[in-house]
Amino acid sequence: MKADTLRALWKYPRQYRLSLSALLLAAYVLVALAAPLVVPQNPYDPLQIQAWEASSPPGTMGGGGYIYLLGTDGLGRDIVSTIAYGLRLSLLVAMTSTAIAAFIGLVLGVSAAYFGKWVDAVIMRIVDLQLSLPTILVALIAIVTLGPGVDRIILAIVIVQWATYARLARGVALSETGKPYLDAARLLRLPTWRIIFRHLLPNSIAPAITLIPIELGHAVALEATLSFLGLGVPIDKPSLGSTVANGFQYLMTGQYWISLFPGLALFALIASINFVGEDVRRRLDPRSRSHDV
Amino acid sequence: MMTTIAGRLSQAFLLLLVMSVIGFAGIHSVGNPVYNIVNIETATAEDIRNATIALGLDQPLWRQYLLFMGNVVTGNFGKSYIYHLPAFGLIMSKLPATFELATTAMLIAAPCGTLLGLLAGRRQGGMLDRAILKTSVFALSIPSFWLSMMLILVGAIAMGWFPPGGRGATLSLLGQEWSFLTLDGLRHLALPAMALAIPKVALIARLARAGTIEVESQDFIRFCRAKGLSPRRILFRHTLPNISIPIVTIVGMQFGGMLAFAVVVETIFAWPGVGKLLIDSIQLLDRPVVMATLTFVAVAFVALNALVDLLYAVLDPRVRRSA
Repeated sequence: MKADTLRALWKYPRQYRLSLSALLLAAYVLVALAAPLVVPQNPYDPLQIQAWEASSPPGTMGGGGYIYLLGTDGLGRDIVSTIAYGLRLSLLVAMTSTAIAAFIGLVLGVSAAYFGKWVDAVIMRIVDLQLSLPTILVALIAIVTLGPGVDRIILAIVIVQWATYARLARGVALSETGKPYLDAARLLRLPTWRIIFRHLLPNSIAPAITLIPIELGHAVALEATLSFLGLGVPIDKPSLGSTVANGFQYLMTGQYWISLFPGLALFALIASINFVGEDVRRRLDPRSRSHDV
Repeated sequence: MMTTIAGRLSQAFLLLLVMSVIGFAGIHSVGNPVYNIVNIETATAEDIRNATIALGLDQPLWRQYLLFMGNVVTGNFGKSYIYHLPAFGLIMSKLPATFELATTAMLIAAPCGTLLGLLAGRRQGGMLDRAILKTSVFALSIPSFWLSMMLILVGAIAMGWFPPGGRGATLSLLGQEWSFLTLDGLRHLALPAMALAIPKVALIARLARAGTIEVESQDFIRFCRAKGLSPRRILFRHTLPNISIPIVTIVGMQFGGMLAFAVVVETIFAWPGVGKLLIDSIQLLDRPVVMATLTFVAVAFVALNALVDLLYAVLDPRVRRSA
């Protein structure tokens, strides 16, 4: 490395710093991807679980030849392994739903701006109503209507989140509609879908990028909350949220580790996503630097 | 101003109506509540048929919906399948507990959050500002159910300062039972109120900070400084009123949100409020109570938003004049 690069790193650490939260988030994703390789047990496989080892405190030597670093839960599952596998499910649900919600929201928002009139009115009234209601209420209505299951949870989170993207994309797209390149596209008689997907959408997408990490954090928290309430993922395949929920009944009898450690992992995950999101927004949107909410 | 509010209200209610159709169809496609009412092991086919007729579930769905809407207009949401009490009355009996919890939490959160935001925004980029900003991200990241459980772990199990759940002793006032009137009730109120308040403090603080930074850069604040007013007087007499509008908005919205969000906290602290009723009813497939609760919270929320709009006019003379 050249000397002036080093000096720049020293002088402007904030610009070059790889933030702690980004590292933590990367570690989380790695653990989630490689869960079967890094943890000793598959908590979804009943054959690997010894029921008589239920609720062992952290540091107990297990029958499987490995130490339960963070103890076991009420069914005898190793907490470390449950966290890794739960993380997998939590991240999968959150990422899938955020991606789908962003896509649907952007397309609908841009379409509202492009078509105007009643299309705009209908889409934006739904958006307004949804954004005025608390997210947990919308999620509960969705989940009550849809029923339980991993796919339903994803759908419920999509229903909750698409509106935020739609409102943002519509605003951006409205300021784009008057620009010459769109007139040119219309004069070329390009089909409508092509104008929307190939011209308007790519030009309206940038501001939405800052939204994605923030909404990803919300999605993780929402999935965890729904699973905690017993309205989320199935019991035999716990996510981080339902792992914490399983530990609740043991809290009163002093087996704190069953809910403490998975919850801590969940908290750190959401916090790292939020810090990264804040960082991304600061870098992409200079206006927010001075007074961000 | 009034016509805008009326227009927005009517649009919102139209949408709520559409949502009620979707919600009604959806909720009736999940599970069969009859199995939660009859004893599955001993019930004969005859019993099950009788129970289905008694609940009106033998009717076609569209007729069930019309019946439901007809009843709703008269304020009747039907009887709970489980408690055999009118659903709306059931919600009303649980409402004081939720209201009490949300109010206590907001009474903690609003002043604390505003004060922290003012202090942070006054010296932007300073030590205090950075600390408050960082802490607020952490506070907003804690999943509320885990926060509640950790409060129980520390405050109730490890230290034994507070009871882990329930409402404690209550005192009757205006025909309702209230916990905040007794010492025991207050001790029961402390942990759930804190669990609800902590994320709100962070949210309000961030908003107040942003407002303070914006207002403090304006000319009239510079003029106040030039006049030699004390920093404290500037902060509380000149900055605070000018940042009050967004704060009132967020307090109003969050208060409504708490009535709904209390779901999680109430479930954990066994606080007998509307949220706990909703979760219990969803799990027991008690459809009338679920429909009644969701409708009630949604309508209350739309009404609350309109109320916040009206409050603007009271707080800000500029809004009043433009109307």
